[in-house]
Amino acid sequence: MALLDQKNNNVSITVFILCCVHTIMTRKENGWQEHREDFQRIPELAINPLGDRIINAFFPEGEDQVNFRGFMRTLAHFRPIEDNEKSKDQNGPEPLNSRSNKLHFAFRLYDLDKDDKISRDELLQVLRMMVGVNISDEQLGSIADRTIQEADQDGDSAISFAEFVKVLEKVDVEQKMSIRFLH
Amino acid sequence: MQLSQESGAASLPKGPLAPEGSQEIRVAEPGRSAKQPPHASPEGHAKPRKAFPVIGIDYKHVRIPFEISLWILLACLMKLGFHVIPSVSSIVPESCLLIVVGLLVGGLIKGVGEKPPILKSDIFFLFLLPPIILDAGYFLPLRPFTENLGTILIFAVVGTLWNAFFLGGLMYAVCQLGGPGLNHIGLLANLLFGSIISAVDPVAVLAVFEEIHINELLHILVFGESLLNDAVTVVLYHLFEEFASFEQVTILDIILGFLSFFVVSLGGVLVGVIYGVIAAFTSRFTSHIRVIEPLFVFLYSYMAYLSAELFHLSGIMALIAAGVVMRPYVEANISHKSHTTIKYFLKMWSSVSETLIFIFLGVSTVAGHHYWNWTFVISTLFFCLIARVLGVLVLTWFINKFRIVKLTPKDQFIIAYGGLRGAIAFSLGYLLDYHHFDMRDMFLTAIITVIFFTVFVQGMTIRPLVDLLAVKKKQETKRSINEEIHTQFLDHLLTGIEDICGHYGHHHWKDKLNRFNKKYVKKCLIAGERSKEPQLIAFYHKMEMKQAIELVESGGIGKIPSAVSTVSIQNINPQTLPLERVLPALSKDKEEEIRKILRTNLQKTRQRLRSYNRHTLVADPYEEAWNQMLLRRQKARQLEQKMNNYLTVPAHRVDSPTMSRARIGSDPLAYEPKEDSENLPIITIDPASPQSPESAELTSEEPKGCSGLPPSPEEDEEGLVMRVKEPSSPGTDDVFTPGNSDSPSNQRMLRCLSDPGPRPEPEEGEPFIPKGQ
Repeated sequence: MALLDQKNNNVSITVFILCCVHTIMTRKENGWQEHREDFQRIPELAINPLGDRIINAFFPEGEDQVNFRGFMRTLAHFRPIEDNEKSKDQNGPEPLNSRSNKLHFAFRLYDLDKDDKISRDELLQVLRMMVGVNISDEQLGSIADRTIQEADQDGDSAISFAEFVKVLEKVDVEQKMSIRFLH
Repeated sequence: MQLSQESGAASLPKGPLAPEGSQEIRVAEPGRSAKQPPHASPEGHAKPRKAFPVIGIDYKHVRIPFEISLWILLACLMKLGFHVIPSVSSIVPESCLLIVVGLLVGGLIKGVGEKPPILKSDIFFLFLLPPIILDAGYFLPLRPFTENLGTILIFAVVGTLWNAFFLGGLMYAVCQLGGPGLNHIGLLANLLFGSIISAVDPVAVLAVFEEIHINELLHILVFGESLLNDAVTVVLYHLFEEFASFEQVTILDIILGFLSFFVVSLGGVLVGVIYGVIAAFTSRFTSHIRVIEPLFVFLYSYMAYLSAELFHLSGIMALIAAGVVMRPYVEANISHKSHTTIKYFLKMWSSVSETLIFIFLGVSTVAGHHYWNWTFVISTLFFCLIARVLGVLVLTWFINKFRIVKLTPKDQFIIAYGGLRGAIAFSLGYLLDYHHFDMRDMFLTAIITVIFFTVFVQGMTIRPLVDLLAVKKKQETKRSINEEIHTQFLDHLLTGIEDICGHYGHHHWKDKLNRFNKKYVKKCLIAGERSKEPQLIAFYHKMEMKQAIELVESGGIGKIPSAVSTVSIQNINPQTLPLERVLPALSKDKEEEIRKILRTNLQKTRQRLRSYNRHTLVADPYEEAWNQMLLRRQKARQLEQKMNNYLTVPAHRVDSPTMSRARIGSDPLAYEPKEDSENLPIITIDPASPQSPESAELTSEEPKGCSGLPPSPEEDEEGLVMRVKEPSSPGTDDVFTPGNSDSPSNQRMLRCLSDPGPRPEPEEGEPFIPKGQ
């Protein structure tokens, strides 16, 4: 929890942690370990098109369980960006909830083979999940091609992280990828 | 339009040349023999013969429409004039210029000796205000609005309440201290005055903010506030007006007033939603009468407004709710042309309305009775500004605790400064009854002063201030497909995370609403296959259409994406393939044959087809064809270059309309004839120049007694999609769907459409050059 210790004085992070803890505690009883099945028991995740990928994002490479620290680490990406943090020391490691790290988290959900590029196939898979079964492969293919062509700047027919960031520069990621706890 | 003009119409003396049948009473002129009425009496009295009136004047008959049209014409000419003189309009916002024009016109009318018309509240609320609000509501950017809804509501409700009470209370204090002229104005009257003047006016805000192109967040905050505070204004106004006639105000009355706020606002929204749903449902069935589709939208929205006003609910909120609710479904159902019509009519009406409102404000200022009381007016102005600034500061401090993206002081300044008052305040003041409020003139004077101040001073200075403070401006970019995909992706991601945390936040509810919408509502309200279309596909399709149209309009110049989709509605259910047309490559002999047949028949059929039907929009075939020919000549050269850079067409079975449009600007050599050719294609001969082989697609109808072209079942229910079987000319109207009528007349129609002209012209030879040669 060293990463989170730095922000201990911040009220919101405490609230954040407490709310998540409360949630986990009320959902299962296995102590501090979470398994994949526990996540899959959440009904809303089952109908979420990205449910599986989100679950996988919590589990570190190859493991089947996540401890509390890992869980919080993943969730910390979604903390809102506080204004006073911007003026804090620039020398320390970039906080987990910076815009760049938030985008990186989203990028990793696309990029399954972890080659730092979103290839056409990976994009197709995501599109297929979001769009459903009624659309034919060819159309999705065209959309995917169009998407890559729009974003691709170095001509490698895949979207790298930098291109991803550039495409989303007009989207208010700080607001979109943040969860506020109003207790 | 009941303009309160006493005289004004030229009433000409009745002379001997008064036209027969006019309704005026004849003036019995002395010295003339007795005249009989125009209809001769059956007794056959000898009546003096008047010369038959060749020219007569009957102004009274047309007076009212004539004057209305004159005013509207004046408004439009003024608008035109401002843009002809660019230097003035860059410094002074249009609204100010219009008020000045109104002042001049009013002064002119007064100078002539007539009484200038005052902006009557009926006319304002029933005719001038709804178009502006509908335009705003229909095109309301929904995403930023809903994301900031909490902030907007707090500003609208709490802010307006604060303004009203603060101002009312302070004015009461001023009145008490203000000497004999003001002492008699009670607390309630002052509170009423406060409630009238405290509401930010949507018309004024729109007029000013539109020109400064401020960033989306601030725009939606101020504008949203001006729209939603109508409910508060209505409640407060009626409340205080009623209370002013009571002797005593009890707690019960206050509680009832509080309740009525909820009734007014929620009731208004409910009325709007109901009408919106009905409109969406109606639009599901309008595929056969596309011509009146826009009218449904306008009528239902107007009915929503009137129904809400009927019950003293908030008409503005009803109108906004109706527009917001009906828009996604109606747009999925109506044709592209109806969509354009709606957009342009709304813009036109709202623009004219706005102009008229400001001009009439100016005229009414000159016309009205004024009672200037220095203390009252100056203190009103002063306290208005203070109330606004304080309100914004306090509320922002409170709101920022809950916002993720905080409002900076710069934002707060713009919000405070953008609180303009306008014609709504004036009309509400005008509505006051003289009997209960004898200080009405003073109120009106003060209201007008505040309006003038905010519109002139604040309106003129806001633009340089925005530049000075370097406030973020609106970014004029279109939404790209990437943004759409990734935003949806993030939506799903955040919903999932919220579910894991058990936090029922913004995304959770939005997701639930979307699911409900998809599962139940869309099925009811959207016709045919479009109901199952995912949002992403709909967005993509729209984008493709837009781009294809731009391509055509720009004559083929411009960036052509190397990947184009053939996403079309028909592809949603690949099983039920609609019957497509096949375009085989014809041999030269067959072509010659066809050419001969057509040429011999073309002359005759042209005359036969000239039936005028008021209910269908028939594009003039010759003009269309001629224009297209010219267009194509222009594009001919550029097409050569486009051959490499062209839109790849996957070997796709159905020729989507997007593709057919896009093809106009691109090289169709790559266009392959389709394999499955069960059915009958149509002959479409587009006049085209030889270098643009794409246009001369000859699709032949086989003369062997085959049945007519079976229309595709899905096509009748399409929304924004052009019919596949239309000749690939963008000018052709949607009504001309070949699938709807029987085959031979179809053929004729299509041939006529492409007929280049009656006389054998030099160009006539060219259209028949087939593609690829």
